[in-house]
Amino acid sequence: MAPAKTIALFPEASYGAALNCVGIAQELRRLGHRPVFICHPGFSGVFAEYGFAEYQLTEADAAPTDWNDFIERHQDAFRQAPFDQLESYVGPTWEAIVDTAMRVEEPLRQLLGRLKPDAIVLDNVVMFPAIANAGVPWIRVVSCAETEIPDENVPPYLSGCGDNERAAWTAFADRYEKTVASAHRRFSAFLAECGLKAPTAPVFLGPSPWLNLLLAPDIIRHDRHAALDPRRFIFLDGCVRHEAPYTPPRFASHNEAPLVLTSFGSLGAMDVAMMKRMIAVFATLPCRFLVNAGHWREEYREVPDNVFIDSWFPQPSVVEQASLFIHHGGNNSFCEALYYGVPSLVMPYCWDGHDNAARAAETGVGRRLGRYDWSDTDLTAAIDGLLGDHEMQARLKANAAKMHKAAGVTRAAEEIVRVMSDASIGAGEASNA
Amino acid sequence: MHGDGRQTRTMTPEPKRTNFRHVELAQKILDVAGERGMAPGERLAEQALASLCNVSRTPIRKALQILAERDLVTADAEGGYLLAIDPVATARLEDTAEGEGEGEIYAAILRDLSAGRIAENQTVAALQRRYDVSRQTVQNALMKLAEENLAERAAGQQWLLKHFAISGDAAAKSYEFRLATEPLALTLPEFKRDMPAITALRQSMLILRGMNETNFDRKLFDRTDYDFHLLIARSCGNPFMAEALTNHHRRRRASPPAGHVNAFRLMQSNIEHIQILEQIERGQMELAADLMRVHIQLSQSQRPRLAGRGVPPAFKLIAR
Repeated sequence: MAPAKTIALFPEASYGAALNCVGIAQELRRLGHRPVFICHPGFSGVFAEYGFAEYQLTEADAAPTDWNDFIERHQDAFRQAPFDQLESYVGPTWEAIVDTAMRVEEPLRQLLGRLKPDAIVLDNVVMFPAIANAGVPWIRVVSCAETEIPDENVPPYLSGCGDNERAAWTAFADRYEKTVASAHRRFSAFLAECGLKAPTAPVFLGPSPWLNLLLAPDIIRHDRHAALDPRRFIFLDGCVRHEAPYTPPRFASHNEAPLVLTSFGSLGAMDVAMMKRMIAVFATLPCRFLVNAGHWREEYREVPDNVFIDSWFPQPSVVEQASLFIHHGGNNSFCEALYYGVPSLVMPYCWDGHDNAARAAETGVGRRLGRYDWSDTDLTAAIDGLLGDHEMQARLKANAAKMHKAAGVTRAAEEIVRVMSDASIGAGEASNA
Repeated sequence: MHGDGRQTRTMTPEPKRTNFRHVELAQKILDVAGERGMAPGERLAEQALASLCNVSRTPIRKALQILAERDLVTADAEGGYLLAIDPVATARLEDTAEGEGEGEIYAAILRDLSAGRIAENQTVAALQRRYDVSRQTVQNALMKLAEENLAERAAGQQWLLKHFAISGDAAAKSYEFRLATEPLALTLPEFKRDMPAITALRQSMLILRGMNETNFDRKLFDRTDYDFHLLIARSCGNPFMAEALTNHHRRRRASPPAGHVNAFRLMQSNIEHIQILEQIERGQMELAADLMRVHIQLSQSQRPRLAGRGVPPAFKLIAR
């Protein structure tokens, strides 16, 4: 067997990307290699639980965080339509992302110098010069919706537009470009200082010259005008990590009823009032509901007998047993629902959640419901409708079988190993020349 | 617990149920068998068990019947029972199975308290109404909760259920408490090593060490985890420390699991248990205490409580 290679995985500081990379790392480890994780400041602890070494980047001059302000600000932004969020959320978020990329550059460069990886897996939305300059292949994982890779036939990234809403595409794309222009200028200048050329605005991360891995399974994929080069772009048909089996808790009633998981991610759990409104509706339905309340679990009292609230679930193992998954359209959640053939009720509030909500509805793998724009009857009808749609369920189960067969995490790991092997052969040939 | 059909049982006699004390005794029999290195097929003599467990033969017989119902012992043609399993490879007996009277109500109260379905202040009558069972059943369940420090009598007819012990913060507070006490317990001057118990426990831990992430036996791990920490509590040689730690571990075991722990972490935890046990066996108590400190700290989850694009860092939650 070839000697074990060290692969540094650097996911962005979000659970979706992090856990998606855990799935790939599990497979790399199974193949005999040594995956290690580079963590953004504050985002540690997730990978160690799966038995991977973690290296946290430190920020020398990080300012103290006013959390009340952050939450208040975004609570309001999350109520807006994608177009309005450009100014209130997307613009400031890109500024924050660029700030982080600049702040971690030096610690990242030093860390890569110490780790000496054979390859770097970047699951992020922005380029880090230290990675481009590391002298080893880097692989890009596109954890977001397929819209992150633009195309004439693909709705603009973060727009929440459907295929048949072309009239709105240009207006959104123009406003997006204007909104992120300042962040992009700063980013371009920073890259230039590091001897790199920035991708053309409004893109912050171009494709890897070695390998790009996309999650989007066939059933929701867009019909691109310019096909992606199959040697460099590989669709994984999902990328789901291995989790230990989950035993649902015993409920105080409805123990034989269908299981419904509700999770809006750690950020989406912050609107406790909205969650309580949903739970009041759940209490009236003949199902068991698991609700991810994240950090706010203790805020809930008088929980209905058919509802169980927790701050964390081993999501894939729960989705596997669920009849319906109510989520925010986070790409990882959406792909997990598809991987297990479970319909999605998507209630988006930001970023590519809007894109996935639109895509779920137009490809018939779920429904979209406005996070705030619903009555009790609407929510009930959406849940009942999806639980009763046997045609959709059958189609999803058939698709899930295809996705299992595609074994996305294994494919990803094998392709990464291939890139490393090609690079070392190339290096060997160069030194022999 | 509305609408699940159990209301119809109110006026009818409650079904035959398993007394939780007999289940505890059945577990004790398995523990004794493990510590004595008994193998499948060996005879379990009632009189010997009675004297080893400090009880009369009648409860031993009932406990053996429970073990027989669960196929852990088999009736011998000549009378009595034979061990049917390897006790060190067997998970702890479940004493809260559905339909088992006060055991079920005890578990339901804990589940509902933990899930935020019922308030901390309760009366027997209110619990009777909710669970649709006799006054005696509720009282027995409350007594069992009180024994494990999960409930206490309050003014008048009130009972106070101790939500703090099973709340979201309980796991973090429990680790804090254990970090302050368990390493200390190992270094107390009169710590006494229980070699038969250590040997049996190590057998179970070695079985677990042979498993991998996909076939890891969580229930067997739960048993070794509980037995291991309890062994340290009762061996420490100071009755006050022993009582505090024993109560804490019993309550920890009785509470619904807080959060989900990966098999990988449990496998690591098992290895840490083995390492500590080895140092105890060798009499290297300071080293065992240091390893215990590391073990407890590694067991705490460090996941960020909130994360997302543009979310500032350092918003962390330590809990499990």
